[in-house]
Amino acid sequence: MSILSPDRYITRADKSPAGRPDVRLVTWFFPVWYAAFGVIICLLARVTPPPRPDVSAADKVAFMTTHALTIQVGFVVLLILLGGAGMTNALVAYQMSRMSTGPVLAYAYIGGMGVGALPGFLLVSVCFLTATFRPDRDPELIGLLYDLGMLSYNGSLGCFSAAYLVLAIAVLYDKNEIFPKWFAYLSIWQIVTEVIATQMFVFPAGPFAWNGSISFWVAVVVFSVWLGSLIFILRNTAAREPVDTDETFQGPTAG
Amino acid sequence: MTDTTPKGTTTERKLLWAWAVLVLITVGSWWLAPAHFTDTMQPSAGVTALLLAMMAVKCRIVMRSFMEVNHAPRWLKVGTDGWLAVLVVTVFAIYLI
Amino acid sequence: MTHSDSSLTATARDTDRAAQPSVGRAAHLPGDIHMWVMVLGDLIIFSSYFVIFMIYRSMSPEAYLRAQQHLDINIGVVNTVVLLTSSWFVARSVLSARAGDHTRAIRFVYAAGACGVLFMALKGYEWAAKIGAGYTNSEEFFSFYYVITGVHFLHVVIGLIVLGVVIRDLRNPARRRTSMVEAGAVYWHMVDLLWVVIFTLLYVMR
Repeated sequence: MSILSPDRYITRADKSPAGRPDVRLVTWFFPVWYAAFGVIICLLARVTPPPRPDVSAADKVAFMTTHALTIQVGFVVLLILLGGAGMTNALVAYQMSRMSTGPVLAYAYIGGMGVGALPGFLLVSVCFLTATFRPDRDPELIGLLYDLGMLSYNGSLGCFSAAYLVLAIAVLYDKNEIFPKWFAYLSIWQIVTEVIATQMFVFPAGPFAWNGSISFWVAVVVFSVWLGSLIFILRNTAAREPVDTDETFQGPTAG
Repeated sequence: MTDTTPKGTTTERKLLWAWAVLVLITVGSWWLAPAHFTDTMQPSAGVTALLLAMMAVKCRIVMRSFMEVNHAPRWLKVGTDGWLAVLVVTVFAIYLI
Repeated sequence: MTHSDSSLTATARDTDRAAQPSVGRAAHLPGDIHMWVMVLGDLIIFSSYFVIFMIYRSMSPEAYLRAQQHLDINIGVVNTVVLLTSSWFVARSVLSARAGDHTRAIRFVYAAGACGVLFMALKGYEWAAKIGAGYTNSEEFFSFYYVITGVHFLHVVIGLIVLGVVIRDLRNPARRRTSMVEAGAVYWHMVDLLWVVIFTLLYVMR
Protein backbone atom coordinates (compact mmCIF):
# COMPACT_ATOMS: atom_id res chain seq x y z
CA MET A 1 0.00 0.00 0.00
CA SER A 2 1.80 3.08 -1.24
CA ILE A 3 1.58 6.16 0.92
CA LEU A 4 3.46 8.53 -1.31
CA SER A 5 0.44 10.53 -2.36
CA PRO A 6 -2.57 11.80 -0.44
CA ASP A 7 -5.00 9.78 -2.55
CA ARG A 8 -3.22 6.56 -1.74
CA TYR A 9 -2.59 7.44 1.91
CA ILE A 10 -6.25 7.39 2.80
CA THR A 11 -8.21 4.71 1.01
CA ARG A 12 -11.09 2.38 1.36
CA ALA A 13 -10.54 -1.35 1.18
CA ASP A 14 -10.76 -1.24 -2.63
CA LYS A 15 -7.93 1.33 -2.73
CA SER A 16 -10.16 4.17 -3.88
CA PRO A 17 -9.54 7.44 -2.05
CA ALA A 18 -11.73 7.90 1.02
CA GLY A 19 -12.88 10.97 2.88
CA ARG A 20 -12.85 14.56 1.77
CA PRO A 21 -10.05 15.65 -0.59
CA ASP A 22 -8.92 18.65 1.45
CA VAL A 23 -8.78 16.57 4.62
CA ARG A 24 -6.94 13.84 2.74
CA LEU A 25 -4.30 16.28 1.60
CA VAL A 26 -3.57 17.76 5.02
CA THR A 27 -3.77 14.36 6.74
CA TRP A 28 -1.05 13.14 4.39
CA PHE A 29 0.93 16.33 4.96
CA PHE A 30 0.86 15.86 8.75
CA PRO A 31 3.42 13.06 9.02
CA VAL A 32 5.43 14.54 6.14
CA TRP A 33 5.85 17.80 8.06
CA TYR A 34 6.68 16.06 11.32
CA ALA A 35 9.23 13.89 9.53
CA ALA A 36 10.91 17.01 8.15
CA PHE A 37 10.74 18.61 11.59
CA GLY A 38 12.31 15.50 13.11
CA VAL A 39 15.18 15.47 10.61
CA ILE A 40 15.83 19.15 11.31
CA ILE A 41 15.84 19.00 15.09
CA CYS A 42 17.63 15.67 15.41
CA LEU A 43 20.09 15.48 12.55
CA LEU A 44 20.69 19.06 11.50
CA ALA A 45 20.26 21.47 14.38
CA ARG A 46 21.09 18.81 16.99
CA VAL A 47 18.75 20.14 19.66
CA THR A 48 17.11 16.77 20.13
CA PRO A 49 18.65 14.94 21.99
CA PRO A 50 19.76 18.17 23.64
CA PRO A 51 23.34 19.24 24.17
CA ARG A 52 24.34 19.31 27.81
CA PRO A 53 23.45 22.16 30.14
CA ASP A 54 26.35 21.50 32.50
CA VAL A 55 29.19 22.63 30.24
CA SER A 56 31.41 25.70 30.13
CA ALA A 57 31.08 28.66 27.79
CA ALA A 58 33.99 27.32 25.76
CA ASP A 59 32.15 24.01 25.29
CA LYS A 60 29.04 25.84 24.16
CA VAL A 61 31.06 27.82 21.61
CA ALA A 62 32.61 24.56 20.43
CA PHE A 63 29.11 23.09 19.94
CA MET A 64 28.05 26.08 17.88
CA THR A 65 31.23 26.02 15.81
CA THR A 66 31.17 22.28 15.13
CA HIS A 67 27.57 22.24 14.01
CA ALA A 68 27.40 25.73 12.52
CA LEU A 69 26.64 24.59 8.99
CA THR A 70 23.91 22.08 9.86
CA ILE A 71 22.40 24.45 12.42
CA GLN A 72 22.14 27.18 9.82
CA VAL A 73 20.75 24.90 7.13
CA GLY A 74 18.35 23.17 9.48
CA PHE A 75 16.91 26.18 11.24
CA VAL A 76 16.67 28.33 8.12
CA VAL A 77 14.67 25.57 6.47
CA LEU A 78 12.56 25.32 9.62
CA LEU A 79 11.85 29.03 9.55
CA ILE A 80 10.43 28.55 6.08
CA LEU A 81 8.55 25.39 6.97
CA LEU A 82 7.17 26.55 10.29
CA GLY A 83 3.92 27.55 8.66
CA GLY A 84 3.35 23.84 8.28
CA ALA A 85 2.78 23.71 12.02
CA GLY A 86 -0.22 25.92 11.49
CA MET A 87 -1.55 23.44 8.96
CA THR A 88 -1.03 20.40 11.18
CA ASN A 89 -2.72 22.16 14.07
CA ALA A 90 -5.59 23.15 11.79
CA LEU A 91 -6.15 19.50 10.89
CA VAL A 92 -6.45 18.43 14.51
CA ALA A 93 -8.73 21.39 15.17
CA TYR A 94 -10.88 20.41 12.19
CA GLN A 95 -11.35 16.92 13.55
CA MET A 96 -12.09 18.42 16.96
CA SER A 97 -14.76 20.62 15.40
CA ARG A 98 -16.46 17.47 14.09
CA MET A 99 -16.79 16.22 17.65
CA SER A 100 -20.08 16.72 19.43
CA THR A 101 -18.31 18.96 21.96
CA GLY A 102 -18.36 21.77 19.46
CA PRO A 103 -15.86 24.15 17.87
CA VAL A 104 -14.80 26.25 20.87
CA LEU A 105 -12.38 23.61 22.10
CA ALA A 106 -10.94 23.38 18.58
CA TYR A 107 -10.26 27.13 18.62
CA ALA A 108 -8.66 26.79 22.04
CA TYR A 109 -6.40 24.07 20.65
CA ILE A 110 -5.31 26.31 17.79
CA GLY A 111 -4.70 29.15 20.21
CA GLY A 112 -2.66 27.07 22.61
CA MET A 113 -0.52 25.42 19.96
CA GLY A 114 -0.13 28.64 18.00
CA VAL A 115 1.17 30.56 20.97
CA GLY A 116 3.34 27.60 21.92
CA ALA A 117 5.14 27.67 18.60
CA LEU A 118 6.92 30.88 19.54
CA PRO A 119 8.88 29.51 22.45
CA GLY A 120 8.45 25.99 21.10
CA PHE A 121 10.81 26.27 18.17
CA LEU A 122 10.89 29.80 16.85
CA LEU A 123 12.98 31.11 19.71
CA VAL A 124 15.56 28.33 19.59
CA SER A 125 15.86 28.75 15.83
CA VAL A 126 16.56 32.48 16.13
CA CYS A 127 18.88 32.11 19.12
CA PHE A 128 21.00 29.43 17.51
CA LEU A 129 21.08 31.23 14.17
CA THR A 130 22.21 34.38 15.96
CA ALA A 131 24.91 32.41 17.76
CA THR A 132 26.24 30.95 14.52
CA PHE A 133 25.92 34.30 12.68
CA ARG A 134 29.03 35.85 14.26
CA PRO A 135 31.25 33.02 15.58
CA ASP A 136 33.82 35.44 16.99
CA ARG A 137 31.38 36.99 19.45
CA ASP A 138 32.13 36.99 23.17
CA PRO A 139 31.87 33.32 24.36
CA GLU A 140 29.67 34.33 27.29
CA LEU A 141 27.15 35.81 24.86
CA ILE A 142 27.18 32.69 22.73
CA GLY A 143 26.68 30.70 25.92
CA LEU A 144 23.72 32.90 26.76
CA LEU A 145 22.11 32.24 23.37
CA TYR A 146 22.70 28.51 23.85
CA ASP A 147 20.96 28.53 27.24
CA LEU A 148 18.16 30.79 26.08
CA GLY A 149 17.47 28.64 23.04
CA MET A 150 17.50 25.34 24.91
CA LEU A 151 15.45 26.55 27.87
CA SER A 152 12.73 28.00 25.69
CA TYR A 153 12.68 25.00 23.36
CA ASN A 154 12.29 22.45 26.16
CA GLY A 155 10.47 24.60 28.64
CA SER A 156 7.60 26.02 26.61
CA LEU A 157 5.08 24.22 28.70
CA GLY A 158 1.87 26.00 29.50
CA CYS A 159 0.69 26.67 25.96
CA PHE A 160 0.97 23.06 24.95
CA SER A 161 -0.57 21.91 28.23
CA ALA A 162 -3.65 24.00 27.53
CA ALA A 163 -3.91 22.55 24.02
CA TYR A 164 -3.59 18.99 25.33
CA LEU A 165 -6.17 19.68 28.01
CA VAL A 166 -8.86 20.92 25.61
CA LEU A 167 -8.05 18.06 23.28
CA ALA A 168 -8.51 15.56 26.12
CA ILE A 169 -11.78 17.12 27.21
CA ALA A 170 -13.12 17.19 23.65
CA VAL A 171 -12.24 13.55 23.03
CA LEU A 172 -13.69 12.35 26.34
CA TYR A 173 -17.02 14.07 25.87
CA ASP A 174 -17.35 13.49 22.13
CA LYS A 175 -20.34 11.38 21.19
CA ASN A 176 -19.34 11.11 17.55
CA GLU A 177 -16.27 9.03 18.38
CA ILE A 178 -14.00 10.95 16.06
CA PHE A 179 -10.95 10.03 18.11
CA PRO A 180 -10.71 6.97 20.41
CA LYS A 181 -11.08 7.72 24.09
CA TRP A 182 -7.70 6.32 25.08
CA PHE A 183 -6.09 9.14 23.10
CA ALA A 184 -7.52 11.60 25.62
CA TYR A 185 -5.56 9.84 28.35
CA LEU A 186 -2.38 9.97 26.25
CA SER A 187 -2.90 13.71 26.00
CA ILE A 188 -3.21 13.94 29.75
CA TRP A 189 0.14 12.15 30.10
CA GLN A 190 1.58 14.85 27.86
CA ILE A 191 0.37 17.44 30.37
CA VAL A 192 2.06 15.57 33.20
CA THR A 193 5.39 15.54 31.36
CA GLU A 194 5.06 19.27 30.72
CA VAL A 195 4.50 19.89 34.41
CA ILE A 196 7.58 17.84 35.28
CA ALA A 197 9.58 19.80 32.71
CA THR A 198 9.30 22.87 34.96
CA GLN A 199 12.21 21.43 36.89
CA MET A 200 14.65 22.00 34.03
CA PHE A 201 14.75 25.68 34.85
CA VAL A 202 16.25 24.80 38.21
CA PHE A 203 18.72 22.01 37.53
CA PRO A 204 21.70 22.26 35.17
CA ALA A 205 22.45 18.58 35.74
CA GLY A 206 20.84 15.37 36.92
CA PRO A 207 17.55 13.65 36.06
CA PHE A 208 15.57 16.89 35.98
CA ALA A 209 17.85 18.91 33.74
CA TRP A 210 16.80 19.62 30.16
CA ASN A 211 18.72 16.51 29.08
CA GLY A 212 17.76 14.49 32.17
CA SER A 213 16.30 11.00 32.20
CA ILE A 214 13.04 12.16 33.75
CA SER A 215 12.63 15.63 32.29
CA PHE A 216 13.71 14.67 28.80
CA TRP A 217 13.95 10.97 27.99
CA VAL A 218 10.71 9.77 29.57
CA ALA A 219 8.97 12.81 28.08
CA VAL A 220 10.33 12.03 24.61
CA VAL A 221 9.03 8.46 24.81
CA VAL A 222 5.60 9.68 25.87
CA PHE A 223 5.60 12.30 23.12
CA SER A 224 6.59 9.75 20.48
CA VAL A 225 3.75 7.47 21.52
CA TRP A 226 1.36 10.44 21.46
CA LEU A 227 2.46 11.67 18.04
CA GLY A 228 2.58 8.20 16.50
CA SER A 229 -0.92 7.47 17.77
CA LEU A 230 -2.18 10.81 16.50
CA ILE A 231 -0.87 10.18 12.97
CA PHE A 232 -2.55 6.79 12.96
CA ILE A 233 -5.81 8.18 14.38
CA LEU A 234 -5.94 11.12 11.93
CA ARG A 235 -5.65 8.71 9.04
CA ASN A 236 -8.41 6.47 10.34
CA THR A 237 -10.84 9.25 11.08
CA ALA A 238 -10.24 10.90 7.70
CA ALA A 239 -11.05 7.61 5.98
CA ARG A 240 -14.26 7.23 7.96
CA GLU A 241 -15.58 10.71 7.29
CA PRO A 242 -18.74 10.81 5.17
CA VAL A 243 -18.13 12.79 2.02
CA ASP A 244 -20.32 15.77 1.14
CA THR A 245 -21.90 14.29 -1.97
CA ASP A 246 -25.27 12.95 -2.97
CA GLU A 247 -24.31 9.40 -2.21
CA THR A 248 -23.92 8.26 1.36
CA PHE A 249 -20.54 6.83 2.24
CA GLN A 250 -21.15 3.15 2.75
CA GLY A 251 -17.83 1.47 2.23
CA PRO A 252 -15.83 -0.20 4.99
CA THR A 253 -13.15 1.83 6.72
CA ALA A 254 -9.63 1.59 5.35
CA GLY A 255 -6.19 1.79 6.86
CA MET B 1 -28.73 -7.80 51.10
CA THR B 2 -25.44 -9.57 50.54
CA ASP B 3 -26.15 -13.01 51.91
CA THR B 4 -27.13 -14.66 48.67
CA THR B 5 -24.63 -13.13 46.26
CA PRO B 6 -22.71 -15.62 44.12
CA LYS B 7 -19.34 -16.67 45.47
CA GLY B 8 -17.36 -15.00 42.70
CA THR B 9 -18.34 -11.43 43.39
CA THR B 10 -17.09 -8.53 45.42
CA THR B 11 -19.00 -8.12 48.67
CA GLU B 12 -19.01 -5.54 51.42
CA ARG B 13 -17.38 -8.04 53.74
CA LYS B 14 -14.49 -8.83 51.42
CA LEU B 15 -13.86 -5.14 50.90
CA LEU B 16 -13.79 -4.49 54.62
CA TRP B 17 -11.31 -7.29 55.18
CA ALA B 18 -9.14 -5.99 52.36
CA TRP B 19 -9.13 -2.53 53.92
CA ALA B 20 -8.35 -3.89 57.37
CA VAL B 21 -5.36 -5.90 56.15
CA LEU B 22 -4.08 -2.94 54.15
CA VAL B 23 -4.21 -0.63 57.16
CA LEU B 24 -2.62 -3.24 59.38
CA ILE B 25 0.33 -3.69 57.03
CA THR B 26 0.72 0.07 56.71
CA VAL B 27 0.86 0.59 60.44
CA GLY B 28 3.26 -2.33 60.66
CA SER B 29 5.67 -0.70 58.22
CA TRP B 30 5.59 2.42 60.41
CA TRP B 31 7.82 0.69 62.90
CA LEU B 32 10.41 -0.11 60.27
CA ALA B 33 10.76 3.36 58.78
CA PRO B 34 13.99 5.30 59.13
CA ALA B 35 12.25 8.50 60.16
CA HIS B 36 10.75 6.72 63.13
CA PHE B 37 14.15 6.55 64.75
CA THR B 38 16.22 9.45 65.99
CA ASP B 39 19.65 7.88 65.58
CA THR B 40 21.14 7.58 62.15
CA MET B 41 19.56 4.60 60.51
CA GLN B 42 21.57 1.84 59.00
CA PRO B 43 20.58 0.40 55.66
CA SER B 44 19.26 -3.08 55.86
CA ALA B 45 18.63 -5.40 52.95
CA GLY B 46 16.50 -7.64 55.12
CA VAL B 47 14.22 -4.82 56.25
CA THR B 48 13.98 -3.50 52.72
CA ALA B 49 13.12 -6.93 51.37
CA LEU B 50 10.41 -7.25 54.01
CA LEU B 51 9.05 -3.79 53.21
CA LEU B 52 8.99 -4.53 49.49
CA ALA B 53 7.15 -7.78 50.16
CA MET B 54 4.62 -5.89 52.27
CA MET B 55 4.23 -3.35 49.50
CA ALA B 56 3.69 -6.13 46.95
CA VAL B 57 0.97 -7.65 49.13
CA LYS B 58 -0.74 -4.28 49.54
CA CYS B 59 -0.55 -3.55 45.82
CA ARG B 60 -1.99 -6.92 44.97
CA ILE B 61 -4.89 -6.47 47.41
CA VAL B 62 -5.70 -3.05 45.95
CA MET B 63 -5.59 -4.42 42.43
CA ARG B 64 -7.37 -7.70 43.05
CA SER B 65 -10.02 -6.63 45.56
CA PHE B 66 -10.61 -2.92 45.04
CA MET B 67 -9.95 -2.79 41.29
CA GLU B 68 -11.73 -6.14 40.96
CA VAL B 69 -8.97 -7.61 38.82
CA ASN B 70 -9.78 -10.98 40.43
CA HIS B 71 -12.97 -11.05 38.38
CA ALA B 72 -11.39 -9.61 35.26
CA PRO B 73 -10.19 -11.33 32.09
CA ARG B 74 -6.99 -13.30 32.34
CA TRP B 75 -4.87 -10.85 30.37
CA LEU B 76 -5.51 -8.19 33.00
CA LYS B 77 -4.63 -10.51 35.86
CA VAL B 78 -1.40 -11.49 34.15
CA GLY B 79 -0.63 -7.91 33.14
CA THR B 80 -1.08 -6.40 36.59
CA ASP B 81 0.80 -9.20 38.33
CA GLY B 82 3.52 -8.89 35.72
CA TRP B 83 3.86 -5.15 36.27
CA LEU B 84 4.10 -5.64 40.02
CA ALA B 85 6.64 -8.44 39.75
CA VAL B 86 8.88 -6.54 37.34
CA LEU B 87 8.72 -3.38 39.48
CA VAL B 88 9.53 -5.13 42.76
CA VAL B 89 12.31 -7.24 41.29
CA THR B 90 13.86 -4.28 39.47
CA VAL B 91 13.71 -2.03 42.53
CA PHE B 92 15.25 -4.65 44.77
CA ALA B 93 17.91 -5.57 42.23
CA ILE B 94 18.99 -1.93 41.87
CA TYR B 95 18.95 -1.58 45.65
CA LEU B 96 21.32 -4.48 46.01
CA ILE B 97 23.81 -3.29 43.42
CA MET C 1 -25.21 -22.33 42.82
CA THR C 2 -25.35 -19.42 45.19
CA HIS C 3 -24.37 -19.50 48.80
CA SER C 4 -23.36 -16.94 51.32
CA ASP C 5 -19.80 -15.79 51.47
CA SER C 6 -18.01 -18.39 53.55
CA SER C 7 -14.51 -17.38 52.58
CA LEU C 8 -13.79 -15.69 55.89
CA THR C 9 -12.34 -18.85 57.35
CA ALA C 10 -9.53 -18.41 54.85
CA THR C 11 -7.11 -15.58 55.46
CA ALA C 12 -8.01 -12.25 53.98
CA ARG C 13 -5.08 -12.56 51.59
CA ASP C 14 -6.96 -15.40 49.92
CA THR C 15 -9.40 -12.93 48.38
CA ASP C 16 -7.95 -14.03 45.09
CA ARG C 17 -8.38 -17.75 45.60
CA ALA C 18 -11.85 -17.30 47.02
CA ALA C 19 -13.03 -15.44 43.97
CA GLN C 20 -13.59 -18.26 41.54
CA PRO C 21 -16.36 -17.28 39.16
CA SER C 22 -19.55 -19.18 39.84
CA VAL C 23 -21.31 -21.12 37.13
CA GLY C 24 -22.33 -19.02 34.16
CA ARG C 25 -20.49 -15.88 35.32
CA ALA C 26 -18.01 -14.61 32.74
CA ALA C 27 -14.94 -12.51 33.49
CA HIS C 28 -15.86 -8.85 33.67
CA LEU C 29 -13.59 -5.95 32.81
CA PRO C 30 -14.41 -3.18 35.28
CA GLY C 31 -15.03 0.13 33.56
CA ASP C 32 -13.84 0.17 29.98
CA ILE C 33 -10.72 -0.67 28.02
CA HIS C 34 -9.85 3.02 27.55
CA MET C 35 -9.52 3.59 31.26
CA TRP C 36 -7.34 0.50 31.55
CA VAL C 37 -5.07 1.87 28.79
CA MET C 38 -4.77 4.97 30.97
CA VAL C 39 -4.15 3.06 34.18
CA LEU C 40 -1.66 0.54 32.81
CA GLY C 41 0.20 3.21 30.86
CA ASP C 42 0.30 5.47 33.89
CA LEU C 43 1.66 2.62 36.03
CA ILE C 44 4.42 2.07 33.47
CA ILE C 45 5.32 5.77 33.27
CA PHE C 46 5.43 6.08 37.05
CA SER C 47 7.48 2.90 37.24
CA SER C 48 10.07 4.51 34.98
CA TYR C 49 10.28 7.38 37.48
CA PHE C 50 10.60 4.90 40.34
CA VAL C 51 13.37 2.97 38.61
CA ILE C 52 15.27 6.16 37.76
CA PHE C 53 14.90 7.21 41.40
CA MET C 54 16.34 3.88 42.54
CA ILE C 55 19.27 4.22 40.15
CA TYR C 56 20.18 7.65 41.47
CA ARG C 57 19.62 6.41 45.01
CA SER C 58 22.07 3.57 44.49
CA MET C 59 24.71 6.12 43.49
CA SER C 60 24.56 7.92 46.86
CA PRO C 61 22.77 5.63 49.32
CA GLU C 62 24.07 7.26 52.52
CA ALA C 63 23.03 10.73 51.45
CA TYR C 64 19.59 9.49 50.49
CA LEU C 65 19.16 7.61 53.76
CA ARG C 66 20.14 10.67 55.77
CA ALA C 67 17.78 12.88 53.78
CA GLN C 68 15.00 10.31 54.08
CA GLN C 69 15.05 10.55 57.85
CA HIS C 70 13.83 14.13 57.64
CA LEU C 71 10.53 13.00 56.19
CA ASP C 72 7.55 13.03 58.51
CA ILE C 73 6.64 9.37 58.74
CA ASN C 74 3.51 10.09 60.77
CA ILE C 75 1.98 12.17 58.02
CA GLY C 76 3.08 9.53 55.53
CA VAL C 77 1.26 6.77 57.39
CA VAL C 78 -1.83 8.89 57.99
CA ASN C 79 -1.96 9.85 54.32
CA THR C 80 -1.63 6.22 53.29
CA VAL C 81 -4.49 5.21 55.54
CA VAL C 82 -6.55 8.16 54.26
CA LEU C 83 -6.11 7.03 50.65
CA LEU C 84 -6.74 3.37 51.46
CA THR C 85 -9.97 4.41 53.18
CA SER C 86 -10.96 6.55 50.21
CA SER C 87 -10.46 3.51 47.97
CA TRP C 88 -12.68 1.48 50.27
CA PHE C 89 -15.39 4.16 49.96
CA VAL C 90 -15.07 4.12 46.18
CA ALA C 91 -15.27 0.32 46.06
CA ARG C 92 -18.38 0.44 48.22
CA SER C 93 -19.93 3.02 45.94
CA VAL C 94 -19.46 0.67 42.97
CA LEU C 95 -21.31 -2.06 44.85
CA SER C 96 -24.11 0.35 45.70
CA ALA C 97 -24.38 1.56 42.12
CA ARG C 98 -24.58 -2.03 40.90
CA ALA C 99 -27.36 -2.75 43.37
CA GLY C 100 -29.24 0.29 42.12
CA ASP C 101 -28.84 2.28 45.35
CA HIS C 102 -27.63 5.46 43.71
CA THR C 103 -28.15 7.71 46.68
CA ARG C 104 -25.83 5.62 48.76
CA ALA C 105 -23.34 5.36 45.92
CA ILE C 106 -23.21 9.14 45.68
CA ARG C 107 -22.61 9.46 49.41
CA PHE C 108 -19.74 7.00 49.25
CA VAL C 109 -18.15 8.95 46.41
CA TYR C 110 -18.46 12.18 48.39
CA ALA C 111 -16.76 10.45 51.30
CA ALA C 112 -13.93 9.31 49.03
CA GLY C 113 -13.61 12.84 47.69
CA ALA C 114 -13.43 14.22 51.20
CA CYS C 115 -10.57 11.81 51.91
CA GLY C 116 -8.88 13.05 48.75
CA VAL C 117 -9.16 16.65 49.89
CA LEU C 118 -7.81 15.68 53.30
CA PHE C 119 -4.86 13.97 51.61
CA MET C 120 -4.12 17.11 49.63
CA ALA C 121 -4.31 19.29 52.73
CA LEU C 122 -1.92 17.03 54.62
CA LYS C 123 0.44 16.94 51.65
CA GLY C 124 0.39 20.71 51.36
CA TYR C 125 1.14 21.04 55.05
CA GLU C 126 3.95 18.49 54.74
CA TRP C 127 5.56 20.33 51.84
CA ALA C 128 5.28 23.66 53.60
CA ALA C 129 6.89 22.19 56.69
CA LYS C 130 9.76 20.68 54.72
CA ILE C 131 10.42 23.82 52.73
CA GLY C 132 10.25 25.88 55.88
CA ALA C 133 12.80 23.61 57.51
CA GLY C 134 15.11 24.14 54.56
CA TYR C 135 14.71 20.85 52.72
CA THR C 136 14.29 22.08 49.18
CA ASN C 137 15.17 20.50 45.86
CA SER C 138 18.78 21.51 46.34
CA GLU C 139 19.18 18.04 47.81
CA GLU C 140 18.81 15.26 45.25
CA PHE C 141 16.57 13.07 47.40
CA PHE C 142 14.23 15.96 48.04
CA SER C 143 14.14 16.96 44.37
CA PHE C 144 12.84 13.45 43.64
CA TYR C 145 10.51 13.70 46.61
CA TYR C 146 8.89 16.92 45.41
CA VAL C 147 8.60 15.83 41.77
CA ILE C 148 7.21 12.36 42.48
CA THR C 149 4.77 13.45 45.17
CA GLY C 150 3.93 16.51 43.05
CA VAL C 151 2.99 14.44 40.02
CA HIS C 152 1.02 12.16 42.31
CA PHE C 153 -0.74 15.21 43.76
CA LEU C 154 -1.71 16.18 40.21
CA HIS C 155 -3.20 12.72 39.78
CA VAL C 156 -5.22 13.21 42.98
CA VAL C 157 -6.57 16.49 41.58
CA ILE C 158 -7.53 14.75 38.35
CA GLY C 159 -9.05 11.98 40.47
CA LEU C 160 -11.28 14.47 42.28
CA ILE C 161 -12.48 15.76 38.92
CA VAL C 162 -13.19 12.17 37.85
CA LEU C 163 -15.15 11.56 41.07
CA GLY C 164 -17.07 14.74 40.44
CA VAL C 165 -18.05 13.49 37.00
CA VAL C 166 -19.12 10.17 38.55
CA ILE C 167 -21.36 11.99 41.03
CA ARG C 168 -22.86 14.14 38.30
CA ASP C 169 -23.64 11.07 36.22
CA LEU C 170 -25.07 9.14 39.16
CA ARG C 171 -27.42 12.01 39.98
CA ASN C 172 -28.95 12.01 36.52
CA PRO C 173 -31.07 8.92 35.79
CA ALA C 174 -30.49 9.40 32.06
CA ARG C 175 -26.71 9.26 32.44
CA ARG C 176 -26.30 6.47 34.97
CA ARG C 177 -24.08 3.64 33.82
CA THR C 178 -22.33 1.16 36.08
CA SER C 179 -19.39 1.07 33.69
CA MET C 180 -18.84 4.80 34.25
CA VAL C 181 -18.75 4.39 38.02
CA GLU C 182 -16.42 1.42 37.62
CA ALA C 183 -14.08 3.36 35.32
CA GLY C 184 -13.89 6.26 37.76
CA ALA C 185 -13.27 3.78 40.57
CA VAL C 186 -10.44 2.08 38.69
CA TYR C 187 -8.75 5.46 38.20
CA TRP C 188 -9.10 6.33 41.87
CA HIS C 189 -7.70 2.97 42.97
CA MET C 190 -4.72 3.61 40.71
CA VAL C 191 -4.04 6.84 42.59
CA ASP C 192 -4.10 4.83 45.81
CA LEU C 193 -1.93 2.09 44.31
CA LEU C 194 0.74 4.58 43.22
CA TRP C 195 0.81 6.10 46.67
CA VAL C 196 1.42 2.68 48.25
CA VAL C 197 4.56 2.37 46.11
CA ILE C 198 5.64 5.98 46.75
CA PHE C 199 5.20 5.53 50.48
CA THR C 200 7.38 2.43 50.45
CA LEU C 201 10.15 3.82 48.27
CA LEU C 202 10.39 7.32 49.71
CA TYR C 203 9.31 7.01 53.34
CA VAL C 204 10.08 3.58 54.69
CA MET C 205 12.55 1.68 52.54
CA ARG C 206 16.12 1.61 53.77
